[in-house]
Amino acid sequence: MTTFSPPTEADQDPVPSGRPGARRGPRVSRRAWRAAAVVAVFVIGLGLPVVVSNPYYLGIATDGAVLGILALSIGFLASRCGLISLGHTTFFGLAAYTFAISTTNWGWAPLVAALFAVLVGSAVGALVGAAIVRTPGIGFLVLTLAIGQAFYQLSVQTALRPLTGTYDGIPIIYADGQTMLGRDQADMGDASQFWPIAWTVLIGFVVVVTLVTRSRFGRTIEAVRENEERARFSGLNTFTPRLLAFMLSATGASVAGVLFALKANYVSPNVFSFVTAGDSVIAALVGGWTTAVGPVIGAVLYVFGQSELGATGNLQLFTGIALVVTIAFLRTGIVGALTSLWSLARRVLLTRRTR
Amino acid sequence: MSIANLLNGVAFGALLLILSSGLALIYGLRGVINFSHGALYMLGAYVAYQSVGALGFWGALVVAPLVVAVAGVALELGVFRPLEHRSHVEVGLVTFGLAMIIERVIVLIWGEDTLPVEGPGGLAGTVSVFGSGYPAYRLFIIATAAVMAVGLFVWLQRSRTGLHIRATSQDPEMAEILGVNVSRLSLLVMAVGGALAGVAGALAAPYFSVQPSMGQAILIPVLIVVVVGGVGSVGGAMTAALVLGIGQTLGNVWAPSVTVLLPYVLVIGVLLWRPTGIAGKRVV
Amino acid sequence: MNQAVLSADEVGVSYGGLRAVDGVSLTVAGGELHGVIGPNGAGKSTFMDALSGRCKLSAGSVSLGGEDVTGRSVQWRRRNGMSRSFQRTSVFPGLTVRDQLEFVADLTHETELDLVIEALGLGDFLDVTCSSISYGDQRSVDIAMALIGRPTVVLLDEPGAGLTKEESARMLDHIRGLCREREVAAVLVEHDVEGVFRVCDTITVLDRGVVIASGLPADVRADPQVISAYLGSEA
Repeated sequence: MTTFSPPTEADQDPVPSGRPGARRGPRVSRRAWRAAAVVAVFVIGLGLPVVVSNPYYLGIATDGAVLGILALSIGFLASRCGLISLGHTTFFGLAAYTFAISTTNWGWAPLVAALFAVLVGSAVGALVGAAIVRTPGIGFLVLTLAIGQAFYQLSVQTALRPLTGTYDGIPIIYADGQTMLGRDQADMGDASQFWPIAWTVLIGFVVVVTLVTRSRFGRTIEAVRENEERARFSGLNTFTPRLLAFMLSATGASVAGVLFALKANYVSPNVFSFVTAGDSVIAALVGGWTTAVGPVIGAVLYVFGQSELGATGNLQLFTGIALVVTIAFLRTGIVGALTSLWSLARRVLLTRRTR
Repeated sequence: MSIANLLNGVAFGALLLILSSGLALIYGLRGVINFSHGALYMLGAYVAYQSVGALGFWGALVVAPLVVAVAGVALELGVFRPLEHRSHVEVGLVTFGLAMIIERVIVLIWGEDTLPVEGPGGLAGTVSVFGSGYPAYRLFIIATAAVMAVGLFVWLQRSRTGLHIRATSQDPEMAEILGVNVSRLSLLVMAVGGALAGVAGALAAPYFSVQPSMGQAILIPVLIVVVVGGVGSVGGAMTAALVLGIGQTLGNVWAPSVTVLLPYVLVIGVLLWRPTGIAGKRVV
Repeated sequence: MNQAVLSADEVGVSYGGLRAVDGVSLTVAGGELHGVIGPNGAGKSTFMDALSGRCKLSAGSVSLGGEDVTGRSVQWRRRNGMSRSFQRTSVFPGLTVRDQLEFVADLTHETELDLVIEALGLGDFLDVTCSSISYGDQRSVDIAMALIGRPTVVLLDEPGAGLTKEESARMLDHIRGLCREREVAAVLVEHDVEGVFRVCDTITVLDRGVVIASGLPADVRADPQVISAYLGSEA
């Protein structure tokens, strides 16, 4: 069997056109168009609560956005660096708990607590990354799994009850009168109020990931993924780019963790669970992690599935089926499949027209 | 520390040993971590539960490994072979998904409740061990594991098939060139690995009872044991299983909070320090 | 000829009890093409690994431009003028040819990438992913990546492997041309013995890890030990 080389954009588009953005021609206007499109999507998206007033669907969109950030963090690492992490719950959960502890136990202002939580998650991300990025393939997978589950165990240890609440978790309580971005605690739990925050952060993260991917740094980590040894023999110190990519990914997961705690107003060991760890990877993969949008779509679908199927307990069944089907047949995920269908349709239509 | 605690550790280690030997065999031959091994173990336990009524415990102990062996063969034909050219990580993820499917289907069939399974009547009592009474059934588990370990070892070291398995684990291409029928070998290894999981599940049923979370609960310890023991090293996995079983059970008595982290610290330490595991080659 | 750019001094590499390379010394000057040949298992690739830093030396030292680089990482060596190509083509399959050449050019501060592209005839498939081009073309990309950035020493490990006799001959000519032009010192490991005799300035012959002959092609060719090593191994 070969070493893991995830499908890249080249696999999606049958006519290889090189790195996007590397095309010759009027670059300025193309970038301007793209920026305008992003702004438009952002502004339109902000208005979602106006169009969708049903709190159930709004809730799904909001939770999907938050999970989407986590899924995108995982997907970025997997597709760009070839590193699949079953332990991003480490940073997600750590940031969520840090936020909960600093607001509830220490009475910090929510905004400060949120920033601190992201900082803690990112710092741990740097430490973990430094230790593990050099381990290849399955070893990395098992390491991330072990680290994530170790944190789960920590979160349920009775010895740490005063800090973590073990299985009961921590109901988040802001100190008297504290608000977060102008909203008080009850508002945060309201999907229509929380949506602008989640959407803004999501779009921001998508833009960051896209820019990083298309930058010189993005090409560097792709080279490391494609052939780490050759990259070294070309003069590159491969440890640093990988570590930086891992840190970006861990920060994303931490941000998602804070948002999750903010909306739920409650954290429990579930944020560290094996199920969460696996499902977030699956969401990213099934959505299609060669693009920035794929994992987000996967996350939204997952949240939707969770709401609809949660009671029946069959979520696990469908998630498992989705995973198997995607790896076996839809290597570039849902987004990839749709893109291929679209190209196919376009080509069929075009040939019809030229006849 | 009492003898009973120590023996409990050995019993748990024994179950882990049987289960992890199967996983180590598969990992060694195919290079893929079978994340559905916990689900196979669970299948063995549930099949044992189902057959105990009609066939008694001893009958169940025969039926369960057979059924799971068939499942192993299905895995080989339906997953490992068609996906032979994909990376190990991808195939591993597929087994991960299969685990979810298998475990859920089991619960759909048998329900969410914990199901009790009665051990064999002849082993229901206690046996005197160094002065105190200890459940005979658990001694039986230990004895079974010992027999399996010896049997497996002899088979791998002395028989021709065992030699083929060891050779193919070292260098699959070379083995094939030298005339080893790798496909047939894979089939055999999957059947044996499945059977071992089935035995472990059937043995565990009266001891730990049969419940929906058992697949997931055993997966991480088994993974840790196989990885720490070394790629495909069955002996390494066996040793690691006993060490973990005893260490964790004893540690739970003394310092539960620290002990629960032990396996994780162990696997992280080993993977970082010696990515090949203690006895094996490469993890990748 | 210029001063020695690369020198290996009593280099030894052992694996367990096996001495893959033992007491091998050579020097290569700028613009000189130095061939390394020998029967199978002679330790040629291991020697290349030793020179490039891919494996640790158990004895001896390697010097680059007079400086001892034995302990230096492969990244360091590349950034300081020593590059290599690989026996088994080692490229970045998912990247386009242009992208990977530019990647290496960035790292090595190459300003005239186009010259290398032209010299190896890569102009036709710059925007195609490396996995879609032929093996021979991939080989050319592999070698191109070793030539970017004006290295002072280039280690080429069987550049003709997997190519037809014609392609291989052409490849060797290209290499000789580029080396002379840019005054690059080159060490060439090859199985195509005729080709090596044709293009190389000096030759070292290895057999079972030790040097059995070294010097000008004409002398080496006539050396009885070399003849028996090759004929002996074929028998």
